[in-house]
Amino acid sequence: MLESLPTWSSLPVNLLANHSVATAEGPSLRWRSPRAVRTVEKSSAAAAKGLVLFYISLIVLIPLAALLTNAFNHGVGSFWNAATSTESLDALRLTVTCSLLAAAFNALAGTATAFVLVRDRFWGKSALNAIIDLPFALPTVVAGVTFYTLYGPHSPFHVNITGSWIGITVAIMFVTLPFSVRAVQPVLESLSGDAEAAASTLGASSFYVFRTITLPAILPALLTGTGLAFARALGEYGSVVFISNNLPYRSEVGSSYIYSLVSSGQVSSAASVALILLTGALLVLVASNVIARRLARRRG
Amino acid sequence: MKSYTRNWFNLLAIGVTGAISCTAFVLPANAATNNVNVVGYSIVGPAYKALEAAFQATPAGQGVTFTNSFGASDTETSNVANGQAADIVNLSYEPNVSTLVSDNLVPSNWKSQEKSIAGVNTSLTGKKQQTTYNAPGIVTNSTVVIVVRKGNSLGIRGWKDIIRPGAEIITPNPATSGSAKWNLLAGYSGWLTQKHTPVQAQNYLKSLLSHTIAQPTSGSSSLATFLTGEGNVLLAYEDDAQAAVAAGDPVQIIVPAQTLLIQNPIALTNTGISNPDATSFYKFLFSGTGQGVFAKLGYRSVLTSVWKQTKGDFASFTAPTKLLTIANLNKNGWSGADPEFFGSTVTFPKNDSSHPNAGIVTYLEQFAGQSIG
Repeated sequence: MLESLPTWSSLPVNLLANHSVATAEGPSLRWRSPRAVRTVEKSSAAAAKGLVLFYISLIVLIPLAALLTNAFNHGVGSFWNAATSTESLDALRLTVTCSLLAAAFNALAGTATAFVLVRDRFWGKSALNAIIDLPFALPTVVAGVTFYTLYGPHSPFHVNITGSWIGITVAIMFVTLPFSVRAVQPVLESLSGDAEAAASTLGASSFYVFRTITLPAILPALLTGTGLAFARALGEYGSVVFISNNLPYRSEVGSSYIYSLVSSGQVSSAASVALILLTGALLVLVASNVIARRLARRRG
Repeated sequence: MKSYTRNWFNLLAIGVTGAISCTAFVLPANAATNNVNVVGYSIVGPAYKALEAAFQATPAGQGVTFTNSFGASDTETSNVANGQAADIVNLSYEPNVSTLVSDNLVPSNWKSQEKSIAGVNTSLTGKKQQTTYNAPGIVTNSTVVIVVRKGNSLGIRGWKDIIRPGAEIITPNPATSGSAKWNLLAGYSGWLTQKHTPVQAQNYLKSLLSHTIAQPTSGSSSLATFLTGEGNVLLAYEDDAQAAVAAGDPVQIIVPAQTLLIQNPIALTNTGISNPDATSFYKFLFSGTGQGVFAKLGYRSVLTSVWKQTKGDFASFTAPTKLLTIANLNKNGWSGADPEFFGSTVTFPKNDSSHPNAGIVTYLEQFAGQSIG
């Protein structure tokens, strides 16, 4: 539960926050005296901000603060010991490796999917477009069991990827695909295609067009999407716990290790490991956002 | 236009916040009358479905409803410790109840509840104990068995066979599952009783762990994993294995000649004691009818009368020739065995730096195999 907080909640909250900025100013349709209008707007904008802050505190900030307190409950020393125990390091290494692989692969596959969805016309396109979001809705445990039956010991395709990093990566790829697709898709839609068309009539190869025109346009969005996918992947539990076989030191992922710590009453250690995962996610999110913004600014 | 948007936005913000605060206040207030909250380890879940239906058919059970929660024993315990409602807790092994005792949720004299509340005395002493192995506060007995695929192509007959090349074991994760602890200690005690030293038994445990290819989070998910075709050896509760056979799953049960007696504790929590429906359900669980339901589902009854009637059903299992209890492994029972085998602190005796005297399994897991990442 903890692990999915930052990525999930940041989406709707950001939208709300942007709305409040966008609607805080601007003329009213009905006539009121200018001063009255200003007062009303000021107070309602303040109320809106207050409510948003209250809402975010309730569901994000307070739980995160509690996590922080829990992690350092028994001092910095025990935080460090819990976070750097062999089992923790093994689990974290596996989680980060698989998450990176999955995010990187989804950056490619997601972009390709977005291209097909935006640029191509084919029968069933809108259905495919709707299906892209399903991994968000499907309980991840169900996804995990499904993968197990399809790519497990009794696989109808004779592929057994259970208990391997491939299995974990594939499960994570499934869960995080929507992030990559949905990040790139709107940007592609907003590209008119004129510049690309002009470039190709001037004799540019299609790869050259992609590299110099399309890619720079979608890169900021792609980076943000990949960052989100990676952050989400770090905390993934349900789909992974089955397919990994959950062997401590061998195939146990971070979220599962945290779960087992909580189960055996070591809440503080669990919070310590979770904090490491969260910090990693936060760093990647901030970095991808900063780079994306810089890229976007450079393009003007 | 924009002002309308803003108003709508404000309304939305107020609505969302209001909705959340309302949910926060409304959700916990589901204290229905005549309801009993039952919390148990994963495998016992199906038994309670039958037990609750049988209880509702008795006069005392008229109109009583149940809220159930079953899962990995350690997980359920920490949920209850963190405030989940529970009147009756039927957990996998004693340390879970002890945790709730130290959190002041279960009275410290919970073992005497069967006598003071259910009015039975299952605990026998002396020679009789050797036949039924009963202890106070325990509602069902079982044993650890080896489950293989039908046909037993590996020819597994006992503990020594499951560490042979080609054996792929599935047993749950001891960090979340009580069943996992019973299983590992059964192998350990099985090895001990075959005239091996504790150090040799530790080495046995190490090879058992290196043959382990999956450690799902609970006993039930282990069986589920095994039934998907993963592995060829499953360590399980006798009752769970019997249920799988009864359900027609293509597996067969091997009872090792030496194994460990599983004793599952039950307790009324402090809220349960003051809930008359909970106490009468507790009473029912220790009654002939209740124990009969357990026995039918493959549990070994703790009531001598029921055990005598039903032990024929266990005949195909020709009861292990040597059945150890947790007290045979550590003189302090679970309170000593838990830190000795599963503690997170690993310590070594002075003269041996490779065979710990605390945190044995925790230590061995590290060297059981290669990481995949």
